[in-house]
Amino acid sequence: MKTTISKILENKISEDLIEVLQDIQAKYGYLPEEQLLEVSDKLSIPIIEVFRVANFYKSFYLEARGKHLITVCMGTACHVRGAPKFVDEVLGQLGIKPGETTEDGEFSVETVNCVGACALGPVVILDGKYYDHMTPGKLRALIKRTKGK
Amino acid sequence: MAKIKNNKDLIALSEKNIKENSKYSKTVTICAGTGCCASGCLEVLTELEKELKNKKLTNKIKIRATGCHGFCEQGPLLVIEPNNIFYRHVKPKDVPEIVSSTLENNKIIEALLYIDPATSKKITKETNIPFYKKQERILLNQNKLIDPCNVNDYISINGYSAFVKVLNTNNPENIIEEIKKSGLRGRGGGGFPTGRKWESCRKAEGSPKYIICNADEGDPGAYMDRSVLEGNPHAVIEGMLIGALAIGAEHGYIYVRNEYPLAVKNAKIAIGQAEELGLLGKKIFGTNFSFDIKISRGGGAFVCGESTALMASLEGQVGEPRAKDIHTTERGFHELPTNLNNVETWANVPSIINNGAAWFAKKGTKDSKGTKIFALTGQIQNTGLVEVHMGTSLKKIIYDIGGGPLKGKKIKAVQTGGPSGGCISEKLFDLPVDFEALAEAGSMVGSGGMVVMDESTCMVDVAKYFLTFLVDESCGKCVTCRIGLSRMLEIITDITEGKGTMEQLELLFETAETVSLASLCALGKTAPNPVLSTIKYFREEYEAHINKKECPAKVCKSLITYKIDNKVCTECNACLKACPHGVITVTNGNYIINSDTCTKCGICFDTCKFSAIKVN
Amino acid sequence: MSDYVNITIDGSKIKAIEGSSVLDAALEYGICIPALCHMKDVTPIGACRICIVELVKNGKSKITASCTLEAKEGMVILANSAKIKKLRKNIAEMLVAEAPNSKAIQDIALRCGVTTVRYPFRNKDCVLCGKCVRVCDEIWQSKSLGFVGRGSERHVALPFNVRPDFCKHCNNCIDVCPMTITPCPGPMKKGEEALCGLCESQLYMAEEVPDSCVDCHLGESFCIRAKN
Repeated sequence: MKTTISKILENKISEDLIEVLQDIQAKYGYLPEEQLLEVSDKLSIPIIEVFRVANFYKSFYLEARGKHLITVCMGTACHVRGAPKFVDEVLGQLGIKPGETTEDGEFSVETVNCVGACALGPVVILDGKYYDHMTPGKLRALIKRTKGK
Repeated sequence: MAKIKNNKDLIALSEKNIKENSKYSKTVTICAGTGCCASGCLEVLTELEKELKNKKLTNKIKIRATGCHGFCEQGPLLVIEPNNIFYRHVKPKDVPEIVSSTLENNKIIEALLYIDPATSKKITKETNIPFYKKQERILLNQNKLIDPCNVNDYISINGYSAFVKVLNTNNPENIIEEIKKSGLRGRGGGGFPTGRKWESCRKAEGSPKYIICNADEGDPGAYMDRSVLEGNPHAVIEGMLIGALAIGAEHGYIYVRNEYPLAVKNAKIAIGQAEELGLLGKKIFGTNFSFDIKISRGGGAFVCGESTALMASLEGQVGEPRAKDIHTTERGFHELPTNLNNVETWANVPSIINNGAAWFAKKGTKDSKGTKIFALTGQIQNTGLVEVHMGTSLKKIIYDIGGGPLKGKKIKAVQTGGPSGGCISEKLFDLPVDFEALAEAGSMVGSGGMVVMDESTCMVDVAKYFLTFLVDESCGKCVTCRIGLSRMLEIITDITEGKGTMEQLELLFETAETVSLASLCALGKTAPNPVLSTIKYFREEYEAHINKKECPAKVCKSLITYKIDNKVCTECNACLKACPHGVITVTNGNYIINSDTCTKCGICFDTCKFSAIKVN
Repeated sequence: MSDYVNITIDGSKIKAIEGSSVLDAALEYGICIPALCHMKDVTPIGACRICIVELVKNGKSKITASCTLEAKEGMVILANSAKIKKLRKNIAEMLVAEAPNSKAIQDIALRCGVTTVRYPFRNKDCVLCGKCVRVCDEIWQSKSLGFVGRGSERHVALPFNVRPDFCKHCNNCIDVCPMTITPCPGPMKKGEEALCGLCESQLYMAEEVPDSCVDCHLGESFCIRAKN
């Protein structure tokens, strides 16, 4: 029986491991242990190697994340324009630090080291949508609007 | 699309496209790069398409959605040809007027024109805007002329003619000679002579050989490669084809960082179209030359911009570098000869082949030839992508093109080369952007990131920012990088918290030297540069933090306090509402910030419109 | 019959087996190059940086780890120049400040000339030398352990932090670990860390034959020595 992940694994070789993990994460929102064991088995990669790759790259998560993902860009240009303040704002509004998820599972926050929209900084991405020239006030309003969606 | 089989077919296709485009009386070019998408250009585009359809103008007026123009702060922006009219900050609601006034009746909409901050005058034509005028946009200007998702646009500007020329003459050594004579050096940071790299890969033993395009662009603040790959993927593909022919390679990879989804999408479309036309694949044009390109997405690791780590990642492993005692041109991807070059390096190749090595070499300095794209950002009037010939002074880039400092501020330094580079004091702004000149000054050209800093930036905080970044991104394999950098961060954190000593400053310097000499890879070796360059040029700031427990720029949180001046305060309550930690209280009309719980985030200071909040 | 290449280390002309590392060639000839993460019969990784040497070519010198440097005909190596010794001392100082609770690391610190430790002591129980990982992977072919995480988060772990059923229970990972033997005066608890300085690292022997191998088995644990 073809499951979702066997479709992802079709015609893939060990070289394609990162792409396979990206596709699995796109499907599940994170990398479940069960799926990683299947990848190790089907692509003949030692499980410790799969585990290493899943832990090495910043874009992979081994735990389920919140419904809404807030990404704060911490690149140099955004940093000099006050990006660290957004971490404070999120902490104040939602009580979580980068890498954490709120208890009700609604929001997760993460930082990223540059999304390449430097002239428009500070940049915050919410659920895949880019918000430019952010201020703590705008972020507060954005979080309020998103709550409960 | 029908396959093209030879040069005649290519020329015919180009002429067909030029003829098609000449049907239109006007072309509206709208920038659809990542930056403008963030500002809402896609909504403007949809509105424009709708309006032209409603008014039955789709046969007369062409819309072309292009890649990044590099003047992101002005987006969404459009350029209307043939009169070169430039409109900025365009909103969907402006579209009906643009169509009726400008497109149908040639009337200019003053409100959408760019205002030159130096003269306060409005400028109508894009070519007259000082930011663009003072550059030499050899590569970047191509972005304006093509829709990256339509290979026909690239072909109509002479695209793929360089590749077809070298395919027909089939003289790999000649190609390498031409690239060597041009003086092209790696644009990703290493600055290694490209022709020499190709030659050593060609001479290496082993098969098959590989070509890699490094689109990992991990330097925060740099987005040149994003703009080129998103907006002009065919130039990169053509460069790789020429390189593959010169080296004798059969397979190519473009390794794109995960955080650039639009670049991945456009590159994939471009590869598909090149394959359809027969420009990629087996036995191209019936010759013995075969070449294919695969896109590989990074997983999110700055260290994967280092070539050996990138190749490990391409092999499906963790991105850990290895010692480069044997070069990757001899043993690289899968232990076979591999030639890796940066996006911008590849994109420069077709024009060098078309215009000749001398054309490229006559620009620039003795050892740094051609033009380079820089991402000019930070505390400056005009931010965006700047292309100038090598040898241009920092002063010209920052003041003439960048427009100088923000109102009321003075520029203090410029940070070049990303986390591997350093901060250069404004006293040295006469320096040319030249590989050797910037390296001698303690920084580097790097990939092209240029962040301008004014007096409101604390240089010790900048060094701490870069160290924090590098400690996070280090792969952790070697002792000097992993432990050394964390010790350096420990010391600099003490300094920013007013706990530093002069002995610690000397230890910081000595640790920095050890890390730079003994680390395994280029990340570790260049990691101390931000610290070393800030100590060199801004030692007095370090000493102020240590001896006077003061932060001159009023940035380091432990050394500043926020207080409300109740004589000035208007009791508007804005600060109270804005404070994310609830540390502002009011008793009997007196507003007080609880200094024990205040995190010094500075949000209240930014919010107060009456300057009632003081920092000291 | 092996092929040899001629290399020069610290002025001495030696014959190295083709394909061997500069470190192995030096140790074979009794030239001292200290090393921590080096282990016989497994792939070198160049992690500890203690074995760094200067490779002199065309008047320029490049600093690189000798364990990963393949000996090639005509190579000129400086293994104990003043520059290298200073760097080794600094690296050893970083190591002992990081993990002082190990006899092997205290040995190395003394051997490399560390007399004071200027960093505040930490008390880590792993320096990521990779001996356990490599012995499990290459000698026992089990791959039950690996380096997980990045930067300062990097640590040795089992898959999903559970001992897999294909682990052979050989305990070699513990045998080869340089942290298993604590310093001679006794284990250093948190707050008690110091530069030991009194180990029998044959320092007096080293003074008589500077830069020569004194067979001190630096960086190895007690068990390996007992076996030999």
